[in-house]
Amino acid sequence: METKLLTEFYHLDEFRGIEGYKKNGGYVELAKALKMQPQAIIDEVKAAGLRGRGGAGFPTGMKWGFLPKNNEPRYLLCNADEGEPGTFKDRMMMERAPHQLIEGMIMSAYAIGSKKSYIYIRGEYKTPIRIVTQALEEAYKAGYLGKNILGSGFDHDMDVYSGAGAYICGEETGMISSLEGLKGQPKLKPPFPAVQGYLRKPTIVNNVETLAAVKYIIRDGAAAYKKYGTEKSAGTKLFSLSGNVMKPGNYEVPLAYPLKDLINGLGGGMKPGRKLKAVIPGGSSAPVLTAEEVERATLDYECLAGMGTMLGSGAVIVIDDSQCMVDLLGVLMHFYHHESCGQCTPCREGTGWLNKIVHSILEGRGRLQDIDLLMKVADNMKGRTICALSDAAALPVLSFVSKFRDEFEFYVREGRSKVRGTSYAEMHH
Amino acid sequence: MPKCTINGKEVEVKEGSTIMEAYYQTGEAIAHYCYHPGLSVAGVCRLCICEIEGNPRPQIACNTVVTEGMKINNKSEKIKDGVKWVLDFHLINHPLDCPICDQAGECGLQDQYMEFGKYNPEMSERKVKKHKVVDLGPRVVLDSERCILCSRCTRFTEEVTKTNELGLFNRGDRTEIGVVEGKQLDNNYSMNTVDICPVGALTSKDFRFRQRVWYLKDADTICTGCSTGCNTKVYFNKEGIFRIKPRYNPDVNGHWMTDTGRDAYKFVNREARLLRAQKHTGSGWTELAPGQAAKDVSADLKSAAGDSLALVLTAQYTLEEYEAIIPAFINEFKTKKIYFWINNKESFDDFDGLLARGDKNPNTKGLLRVMEKHGLSGSWSDLEAGLNSGAIKTVVVAGPENQFVFPDMNEKIKLLSKAKKLVWMQSGKNEALNALSGDVTLIPMKSYIEKEGTYVNFKGLEQKVKRVTTVVSEALTLTEATMLMAGRNLTIPTTKELFVESNRREDEVMLEHRKKNEFVFRRGSL
Amino acid sequence: MSVVQNTGEKKNWYLPGIFTGLGITMKHLFYNLLNRKKMITLDYPEQKYEYSPRFKGNHILTVKKDGSLRCTACMLCATNCPAECIKITAAEHEDPSVEKYPISYEIDMLRCVFCGFCEEACPVDAIRLGPEWQTPGLSGTNFIYDIQKLAYRPQLKGGILTHVDDEERHKAGI
Repeated sequence: METKLLTEFYHLDEFRGIEGYKKNGGYVELAKALKMQPQAIIDEVKAAGLRGRGGAGFPTGMKWGFLPKNNEPRYLLCNADEGEPGTFKDRMMMERAPHQLIEGMIMSAYAIGSKKSYIYIRGEYKTPIRIVTQALEEAYKAGYLGKNILGSGFDHDMDVYSGAGAYICGEETGMISSLEGLKGQPKLKPPFPAVQGYLRKPTIVNNVETLAAVKYIIRDGAAAYKKYGTEKSAGTKLFSLSGNVMKPGNYEVPLAYPLKDLINGLGGGMKPGRKLKAVIPGGSSAPVLTAEEVERATLDYECLAGMGTMLGSGAVIVIDDSQCMVDLLGVLMHFYHHESCGQCTPCREGTGWLNKIVHSILEGRGRLQDIDLLMKVADNMKGRTICALSDAAALPVLSFVSKFRDEFEFYVREGRSKVRGTSYAEMHH
Repeated sequence: MPKCTINGKEVEVKEGSTIMEAYYQTGEAIAHYCYHPGLSVAGVCRLCICEIEGNPRPQIACNTVVTEGMKINNKSEKIKDGVKWVLDFHLINHPLDCPICDQAGECGLQDQYMEFGKYNPEMSERKVKKHKVVDLGPRVVLDSERCILCSRCTRFTEEVTKTNELGLFNRGDRTEIGVVEGKQLDNNYSMNTVDICPVGALTSKDFRFRQRVWYLKDADTICTGCSTGCNTKVYFNKEGIFRIKPRYNPDVNGHWMTDTGRDAYKFVNREARLLRAQKHTGSGWTELAPGQAAKDVSADLKSAAGDSLALVLTAQYTLEEYEAIIPAFINEFKTKKIYFWINNKESFDDFDGLLARGDKNPNTKGLLRVMEKHGLSGSWSDLEAGLNSGAIKTVVVAGPENQFVFPDMNEKIKLLSKAKKLVWMQSGKNEALNALSGDVTLIPMKSYIEKEGTYVNFKGLEQKVKRVTTVVSEALTLTEATMLMAGRNLTIPTTKELFVESNRREDEVMLEHRKKNEFVFRRGSL
Repeated sequence: MSVVQNTGEKKNWYLPGIFTGLGITMKHLFYNLLNRKKMITLDYPEQKYEYSPRFKGNHILTVKKDGSLRCTACMLCATNCPAECIKITAAEHEDPSVEKYPISYEIDMLRCVFCGFCEEACPVDAIRLGPEWQTPGLSGTNFIYDIQKLAYRPQLKGGILTHVDDEERHKAGI
């Protein structure tokens, strides 16, 4: 069963407009929050154990606590650059409930004392951009944004900004660069954005889902929110289920939900006659889990980390036995090669190299030592760069090759896929 | 002052120093490309990784600030292996252009590969093809394939010149350096990007393909292009001087120098020089040895001694030379008609905010100092009046070394040739001088790299330079010419190499190197 | 050098030595007279000795398929030359894929010691030491070989091609 907290009214079309949103309990908590002390909101979020839903899972309250305690202008940025392959939850949230996000953002901005915030939506999301822009207009008109919101004396402005569509702009400092009008390249850390971010001012970057969840923490209180999930992974989370399942889609479940239940229960199981082979549990950069690992896996930060993978953005990609892992790795490597920003050498050259090696295997030019070379290259890209894109490219390689080595070796020896039985060239004709 | 340990050596660094600076301080080897002490930290080459005790992940030295008691190490197998791989990442798409690459011999990739490299490349895929021989501007050529995208050049135009001509375009391994559309890299500091380029991606059009760097020797000197007096290194061999690069001096020029200053070798090379003395008599020009020419005019000057004799000085000679010629004229030729030829009065006080100054003479302060000491205050209009009225009959001119910065050259030659007898001492050829008729003697002078001496820059800083090489061996210094003109003989200076601490070149191969079979020259710097 | 001093009485007996020497001479004389085919001496210049194909004779500059010089003017040969007899002047080529080429390439054959180091240093197989060695000249200037002589002398019949051409190299992504 789904646990509908954020997505409770998503089935209602009217929830998209401000009237329908207000009818279903919208902007009630904003008035409540604006009467609270900002620090009380931060404490509440901290107590609720809310962790970043964008991928890294960093405790949100703690992140807010890193802001310097002075009167410097500070910014709140909403990261809606949902670039991780397999993830589509933010799109749904913005399309179905833009005001939910706006309300959560105003509360969060009030908590951290920011007078200006931006929603950075990825370039390809034309519809969400339109819907959120419209919602912002409505919110301004209704007095939820602008000067002296609801008579509290708190001023806040919010804007939508869209990049040209680059995976790297989903990285928080890359997003800040893009927002500043520069080339979307991550910035060197330290200084961290909470100290020096957008326009060299303290900046908080949070995911759409994280900011929306703040509303529910204020509404129900930290204790109620904490009832969902486990001690360390509290709350509910949206999972974008995709791949070879009967019913792909977004599902909101409490954290620590068993992965196999998500696939077989909510997802409707595998297609007839197909067997589960592997699952990528947290977006394409998360290491893959084999079918037997899936049996044990629960969807929370700790369990997946213990299995050597991560919850990431919650994009569960299901792979059945009709898929060739070499093909899949080829697609992934093409993606990362295309999306590497080109700043740090190991990533810039490494992603290209990995892509070339995988494709030479696919095209039948591979050598057995190339499989080890893949591992070596990936190993030396891991943790060597400014941002995590290099890791994101290396981790799938390491997990794919170590867990499905037989498929790679078969491909090199026979020049065709073990699963499909055909070669790459034959597949493309 | 935090203390830290670098590879087991304890070192105390300045507050806020990075690990890289600590490495520089101890002299321990650390691989790096994108870090440059004169630019901001980019942290993109990822080569300067080192282990910090208590930190599981290797950190980059250029962006990590040293804290008290930090234990840093880059000698462990893990780090060495990591550096090898990062170097290999740099090289997988780097073309094997070394034979035709101008940087070969002073290339960061070559040097660092020898020291830290992996030596068994595993790359067997095709390299990425990019643009070659891209024209960036009037002085710089780009080869994108060789570029390792350290972003030093883009940071230079962004932070130092603030002209922002260069940028990084495209993503991933298709990234290329380029100029912003409609712009050209033609600021007066553009060739610094060539210096800081650790590979042969940016090359200077002026130096391109003219010499391999291992055929060149280098020596320290200063730039005489303007009154800033940037510290430079000249690269030369027996065929002449080929290029000039800046040398770090925090008090004068920092890491940079101007492009105009880099042309300062052009008037030094043999093609531009006056090789022998020339004397115009009734029938035309005759050539003779410079020393002889100076001796010949000696009698004329002695007879002209007094108020009909004038001396014109340009601020392009050393302090020592002024100290020789001015007293000689006052005491031996009994004249106080000594004038300072100012070349570009209007733009004398210009300053571009970085290095280039309007006063295009290296030693204006020095000349004024000596003139003041001897109580000279002759103005140019006095000289003009004297020449026009015929009161000044004999003129001795210490002409400019760098004639490019004397726009009034022809005009002044015309004026000074009104004198009955003209002795013109100068290092370079000049057609207007050769077109003169009448009693004219041209004496070749040594240029700034052929003599020792002191130059005083715009803020009064005395900079001593030592002799670098000889281009025209017969040419005289102003001191020597003075001695000969005054009728004295040349003496061999008894003080031994006044300014030279050590005659040995830093990279000279000594006996102990030979014993160890070490012939590796460490030319060029990163 | 060690010197053997013969201090004995026998040092005055020189005739046995002379006859031994004469004996060897006679032996070779009759041997050669009777086996003329096995005689080592050649009737030069009618007969010429066949050297091994690896003989290091006069230099050849190889050419590309289009007949232009293979040499990239990297000056490694000149750097490596122990006799310092190679002089190259480089220039920029119009074709950006060639970039650098020699506008003059001179070898002073009289200084050359035919060590073959230039051949070994060359990264592009542009210089080889060929089989020719009988190259008389009337004056010293005849021995300064320029590009015309090194690459296109009549004996070479329009130039020697190398195995790998530029284009192939570029296509292979090297």
